[in-house]
Amino acid sequence: MSLTESIVRSEYATMTVALKIWRFDASTGERELKDYELEAPEWACLLDVLDLIKDKVDGSLAYRKSCRMMICGSCGMRMDGAAVLACKERMKPIVDRGHVPVISAMGNLPIVRDLVVDMGPFWNKIKAVKPWLDPGYDEVAEKERIVSQQAMNVIHKEALCIMCGCCVSECNSMESDPDFLGPAALAKGFRMVGDPRDQAEVERLNDLNEEHGIWDCTRCYFCNERCPKGVDPRDAIAKLGAESVKQGIDHDMGAKHAKWFVTSAKTTGWLRETELVPKTQGVVSAIKQTKFALKLFRHGKVPLPFPPHVAEGVEESRALYDLVRTQDRRGALGIVQGERALAKIDQEHPEGSGSGWGSRAQADITPGERPTRGKGGEA
Amino acid sequence: MKKVAYYKGCLAALSAKELDSATQALAPRVGLELEELESVTCCGAGDIHEAEPDYYLHLNARILAYGEATGSDTLMTVCNVCTLNLRQANFTLQKDDDLRERVNRNLEAVGVPPYSGGIEVKHLLWMIAEGEGYEALKQAAHKGLKGLKIAPFYGCQILRPSKLLGFEDPDRPWSLEAIIEACGGEPVDYPAKIKCCGFPIIQAREETALGELIQPIEQAMEAGADAMVTPCPLCHLSLDAWQQKLEASTGRSFQMPILHLSQLIGVAAGLEDSELKFKRHVVPMTPVLEKLEA
Repeated sequence: MSLTESIVRSEYATMTVALKIWRFDASTGERELKDYELEAPEWACLLDVLDLIKDKVDGSLAYRKSCRMMICGSCGMRMDGAAVLACKERMKPIVDRGHVPVISAMGNLPIVRDLVVDMGPFWNKIKAVKPWLDPGYDEVAEKERIVSQQAMNVIHKEALCIMCGCCVSECNSMESDPDFLGPAALAKGFRMVGDPRDQAEVERLNDLNEEHGIWDCTRCYFCNERCPKGVDPRDAIAKLGAESVKQGIDHDMGAKHAKWFVTSAKTTGWLRETELVPKTQGVVSAIKQTKFALKLFRHGKVPLPFPPHVAEGVEESRALYDLVRTQDRRGALGIVQGERALAKIDQEHPEGSGSGWGSRAQADITPGERPTRGKGGEA
Repeated sequence: MKKVAYYKGCLAALSAKELDSATQALAPRVGLELEELESVTCCGAGDIHEAEPDYYLHLNARILAYGEATGSDTLMTVCNVCTLNLRQANFTLQKDDDLRERVNRNLEAVGVPPYSGGIEVKHLLWMIAEGEGYEALKQAAHKGLKGLKIAPFYGCQILRPSKLLGFEDPDRPWSLEAIIEACGGEPVDYPAKIKCCGFPIIQAREETALGELIQPIEQAMEAGADAMVTPCPLCHLSLDAWQQKLEASTGRSFQMPILHLSQLIGVAAGLEDSELKFKRHVVPMTPVLEKLEA
């Protein structure tokens, strides 16, 4: 029996759902924000509501779907400007607040029609990170190769990715540089780099250190915020950076920039700001920036490097550096070691959060519209 | 008076000294007694987290340990990046006993007191956007900001990831607006207020970064803002100092004055020019101050 029939037979308590959908026709370029209002079961998620609209109101509405259970990654779209999986978003709390959400296609990908985007550019970037294991041998070994659970835990979060594109939708770097590999592909990259069965780590890291790779990430954390599966792609990118530095793959300006912070912390304690430009970009490029630097200097924005501003007790910071370097926690492992703790936060999130934790269920207005007073959009 | 351990971070100690002086002058007026942490270092700004993550964790554990040693339950920051880095380390250390034990052994080995997990990291913004701090702010802001349209710019790492920050809804924040209104100004709204200023990659990928930076400045201008305010000195450096690069690359004139949060409230509270130090800004604040006097 179809969902529509069930509702007609009044099997469930229903509610009146109102929403607005950005309709789009790529063949004509026409775009229109249309209003919809309909009865839906109280348990309906956004995807159920779209199905009802297509069934009962307007058969021409286009969107993708398949599994209905947060595993196929087909139904990524925006609700109030934030990427979500339509099958994960319950409508009841939104209806109860009298809110009318705006549904639109994901960002950073070309729209084909209505809520359907062209995933082509997304898949090309996934392919670019060679998403298959390179075991380093052709012949299958006679004995089974056992991998420990502990070793697989290193890539546990990255392996959860369902490639829905929600992280890519709001990636700020990609809005500015469409060629940026982006959070999904880089998380996939770490899923391969961190796999103990893969033997191509150095080659992969070299590839990912190219322009439009690891060091293009602007750390806006939209990817971590949007991922419906807890992959935390930004953390995966940090793991790739840490592995690169550990392997001595540090030719990129981003890596040099990051390493200068380490040098600063263990020598003077505070960031040696003035030397950051030549240490990152090289002396020649730094000289080209002289005019810019002089203007900043006049406003005290370029502190003199001599005498250095040295933090009290900096010898402790230096000693810590020397000590932890001996403890075999360099690279991604240094980030992974906190994994267990972060996993606990995830679990505590719903009950421990109180109001204002930015749950999509509190969706209230489009980002950038007038904010509602009080946490989490309380009136 | 609420006593807090004050961690000013690198920028307020160096290129954004005006942030430190405005914060120090403002604190007693909003009911905060600052105990400045002297024996601390950079939080690593996300860079050490990405290059030597284990060292990042220990550096931040050391800052938290000295914060805890002041006896205060709050370590106050004035920078988004410091806030995320310290809170990330703090959550990890508080929730993972085995890890905290290991880190404490290392801290003690180099003469740092161990960290028990007893301090919370809070940004100045959060201390004064609600509760007693907000009430004190309303009293302090007697001079007002009448007639000024202010564009709030949150930046990233005070909103996202919300599971580590969590003060307000990361898509619909309200704290800066509340403060602007309490100071008598008019907050203007624009979509890019929660987006990235581009600063973390402004040296390694300048073009990409400028493509991000133009959005908030352009939108704030279109919304009719007299000035922008930000709780983050890195956003400030990007918005204020790199604005001239944006002008050079686009051939347009923006001349958008950028305020640190402490300066915005400082103006409304009548702080002295010697405390606000607007001369240290690249884009002049003069038009804003003149409009306020008029």
